Amino acid sequence: MAELLFELKEVYFSYLGKFPALCGVDLSIEAGSRVGVIGANGTGKSTLLTLLDALVFPDRGSIKVMGRELTESVFNDSVFTRTFRKRVGFVFQNPEVQLFCPTVKEDIIFGPLQLGVPLMEVRKRLEKTSAALKISHLLERSPHQLSIGEKRKAAIASVLAIEPEVLLLDEPTAGLDPQTTRDIMDILIAENESGKTIITATHDLHIIEEIAGIVHVFGEGRRIIRSAPPAELLSDQEFLQKHNLAHIHRHKHGNVVHVHPHVHLEHHGQEKESHG
Amino acid sequence: MSALSFLKDSVFSDEYAGCRGFLQARDTRFKVAIIFLLLLAVLFSKNIYFLILLYMLCLFLAMFSKISLGFFLKRTWIFIPLFSFFIALPALLDIFSPGRPVLSFNLAGITLRITQQGIAGAVFFFVRVLTSVSLAALLVLTTRHYALLKALRIFRVPQIFVMTMGMCYRYVYLFIEIIENTYLAIKSRVGFVHSVKKGQMIVAVNIAGLWQRSYILHDRVYSAMLSRGYCGEPKAIDEFNSDFKDWISLTAAILLFSAGLLWQSCCLS
Ligand SMILES: Nc1ncnc2c1ncn2[C@@H]1O[C@H](COP(=O)(O)OP(=O)(O)OP(=O)(O)O)[C@@H](O)[C@H]1O
Ligand SMILES: [Mg+2]
Repeated sequence: MAELLFELKEVYFSYLGKFPALCGVDLSIEAGSRVGVIGANGTGKSTLLTLLDALVFPDRGSIKVMGRELTESVFNDSVFTRTFRKRVGFVFQNPEVQLFCPTVKEDIIFGPLQLGVPLMEVRKRLEKTSAALKISHLLERSPHQLSIGEKRKAAIASVLAIEPEVLLLDEPTAGLDPQTTRDIMDILIAENESGKTIITATHDLHIIEEIAGIVHVFGEGRRIIRSAPPAELLSDQEFLQKHNLAHIHRHKHGNVVHVHPHVHLEHHGQEKESHG
Repeated sequence: MSALSFLKDSVFSDEYAGCRGFLQARDTRFKVAIIFLLLLAVLFSKNIYFLILLYMLCLFLAMFSKISLGFFLKRTWIFIPLFSFFIALPALLDIFSPGRPVLSFNLAGITLRITQQGIAGAVFFFVRVLTSVSLAALLVLTTRHYALLKALRIFRVPQIFVMTMGMCYRYVYLFIEIIENTYLAIKSRVGFVHSVKKGQMIVAVNIAGLWQRSYILHDRVYSAMLSRGYCGEPKAIDEFNSDFKDWISLTAAILLFSAGLLWQSCCLS
């Protein structure tokens, strides 16, 4: 069995003490795995990732990282903080928050610089990540001048530049065109194949099969209601519909309007063939 | 709202900073030093011809930096009435500049006289302001804001200050956009804002909302910084690259500055 990376037991969290966001989450994540997190809006996906990145701490319950309990006090230890930040990277749902520097370039080098990566290496990573995400031409621009998709790519680059072992991704493909989505998926899959753990929260069922070996579904109760391999979930129409996860299509055949749920499994298969 | 767009356009556009002109190509540190020297020269000069020469130089620099002359003049002359009204106008009068009267008139029972010395003084002042404003505009127009901020580092301004300023700049833009979009959203929903009073109320509500948002944003941005390893002491690369043209320009500015001083002392003796 692979090494246990994260271990959550009965985790409760609420914002400001009165807006519950997670109510009793149990979860274990193995090093090197691909984990998907899905669920309707407001069910706590982003909150979970924020907890995993130790930006907030649970009200009750425990989170262990590689056997060590995550609490506010362990982050007083600067050596641990640095190691943790180097090992875990988090792409926020809102790239506006993530890009706080005056230029894209400065945003990409921010992480490595803070973490004490030598200058030569920082430059190398800047080149590598911006080439991988095809944003080399945007480096001197201000984040506020970019389109939403470009912002998202820049945000992903700013995290990849840290070269973390664990990637937490909150809706990494939202608002991206199909080709860019494809590129980002390829990058993430390559990262995973080189041994990194990727944990992705998404609404995009198209990508879930590739990006996750196991999917955790968050329900209205703000806890995990089901954990299963993606293929099994995607074939369970009833379940998906019940939890606001299926795409519902409506189209016309002659004069009759059909409304039917549909998760693009067919398209997906074709796509794969044409790519393969 | 149009005031807001004006702010956005004038403060945040780096249309000219992105051109490939003479000043744009200069290393920011050198550019700041050169403009600073020229400003000093303007400040010390008591010779109107020297000032006019410097002003011509500004116009040439603007031209070589691919700034359209019309735009540049508009941008710089817009400040002039403000200054001249409060300072130059009174200086024309004999109360402030005694001398040979050229013209006299009555205002509310007081006889005011415009003196020759007054005119000379006002013209001198006018050119001085115009030249200073043009120099400042040249610097701001041809430099990206963050580069300007970074150049502060040569004056040993702490990194945390430079970074905070950079972030303010970044997020003020975001807020302007939020306000603009909110306004558009209101317009699209209610058509137009009926009365001034109602408009004011909408603005008030928005400002409250904006305050809240800025608070949440602050929280999140801080988390985003922590997540990427920030621990209270920002690190950044101070990247500048200068070439021989920068040195030549700086030397030229020094020469010009000294020439100004020399001219001055010749005139005095
Ligand atoms: N800053 C906050 N203050 C108060 N409540 C919050 C805050 N952020 C989130 N919440 C609440 O916490 C719950 C979980 O939010 P979270 O952002 O984790 O949901 P999510 O699953 O990521 O949703 P989405 O799919 O819309 O991104 C929601 O009910 C939300 O209202
Ligand atoms: Mg979310």
